[in-house]
Amino acid sequence: MSRDVELLADRALVGLDDDEANELRALGRDDDESYDLAAAAIDLATLSIQPMPAGLAERVIAARAPVSMKIPTTLAGWSMPQIAKQAPEKRRRRMAPWLAAAATAAIVIVGLSWWLLRATPSLSDDRADLLAGGATRIDWKATPEASTTTGDVVWSASAQRGYMRFVGLTPNDPAKTQYQLWIFDKTRDQAFPVDGGVFDVTSTGEVIVPIAAKLHVDDATLFAVTVERPGGVVVSKREHVVVMAARS
Amino acid sequence: MLPQPDLSTVLGRVASGDPVAVRDCLARYGGLVWSIARRFEGDDAEDAVQEIFLDLWKSAARYDARVASEATFVAMIARRRLIDRRRSRRRRPSTETIEHEAPIATTAHGPDTCAEASQAARALDRLRPEQRNVLLLATCHGMSHGEIAAETGMPLGTVKAHARRGLISIRAALLGVQEEGP
Repeated sequence: MSRDVELLADRALVGLDDDEANELRALGRDDDESYDLAAAAIDLATLSIQPMPAGLAERVIAARAPVSMKIPTTLAGWSMPQIAKQAPEKRRRRMAPWLAAAATAAIVIVGLSWWLLRATPSLSDDRADLLAGGATRIDWKATPEASTTTGDVVWSASAQRGYMRFVGLTPNDPAKTQYQLWIFDKTRDQAFPVDGGVFDVTSTGEVIVPIAAKLHVDDATLFAVTVERPGGVVVSKREHVVVMAARS
Repeated sequence: MLPQPDLSTVLGRVASGDPVAVRDCLARYGGLVWSIARRFEGDDAEDAVQEIFLDLWKSAARYDARVASEATFVAMIARRRLIDRRRSRRRRPSTETIEHEAPIATTAHGPDTCAEASQAARALDRLRPEQRNVLLLATCHGMSHGEIAAETGMPLGTVKAHARRGLISIRAALLGVQEEGP
């Protein structure tokens, strides 16, 4: 492996110190971002997207360094309609088409939203559809860490998706811990189960959580949920297993 | 020379000075940046997110849709900042913790699924398990070669070889080229 490739790979994965960065520059390869993009793609492939905390977006905007961004009041070739100096009746007549268009747009938006809400199946409905389509359903077996938890896991190998259903699983504090699903695939090394995604539980009532398998699962034999640090882990130490579901 | 801003992309609009684009960018990629930052920073993720977005506003003009998807570019900018922070923290340990507020559902949307992520997942699948494990520890948790060696019990040289070779394989798969030889 050539030295420039070593440095490019190291920069993408662990960063470089000043001497190494200078060495890469001297080799004339420091503009090559393909290794950094590859590492970023791995991040995307294995990431469970969580929402930003409330208010953080506003703080990011507030912290934004002053830049030459100005809210445009005019666009080339266009100007805002001058209505302030017009007589009220004339102003109403001029505004009527705009108001009609706005009302039409509002009706369309409300109708479209209603249609989308109707068209998007609930988790429960989609879970039922998967089951009707032949997906496997396995009851959770609780461990001493969650002895009163019940529910099941539904997994469709053909669709490569499924759902976990829990009743009585203790709500977690996402700032401290998160639950993470692991899928043991018979065709893979059992030391490295597939990451099924991290999730939060906010209620001890019935909770349905979609499975977000990060890799293709050919033959799922065992599902296990562990408690991990926020964001999940790549390899679980399996210290806190709360439920398991094994295919018989 | 920088490419002309592509106004069909959020980053292109940010680069062109569109004031609405900044909010659009936060809405679209806030969850992505937050989630990557949480992996690296844990409770210090909020500070990191602010720094990442400042980097992103400055780098937006460099984005070229012909090279990578927007999500991959955003993740790359995020990773660079997080790796820098982690390296400087190793020199200057911190014990400060920050209380987190409740998440809001309005920013729960992830980025559009990008082709690179799917290709990377398939390429990861083809790696040997120990190589994949080392690569994921380095990539997803920002662990140094030494930390991975301590975690896995592998010799340091083996860890470096697995990490580099693994990344070279993923890059080759994304670019559709032969791996660069030894």
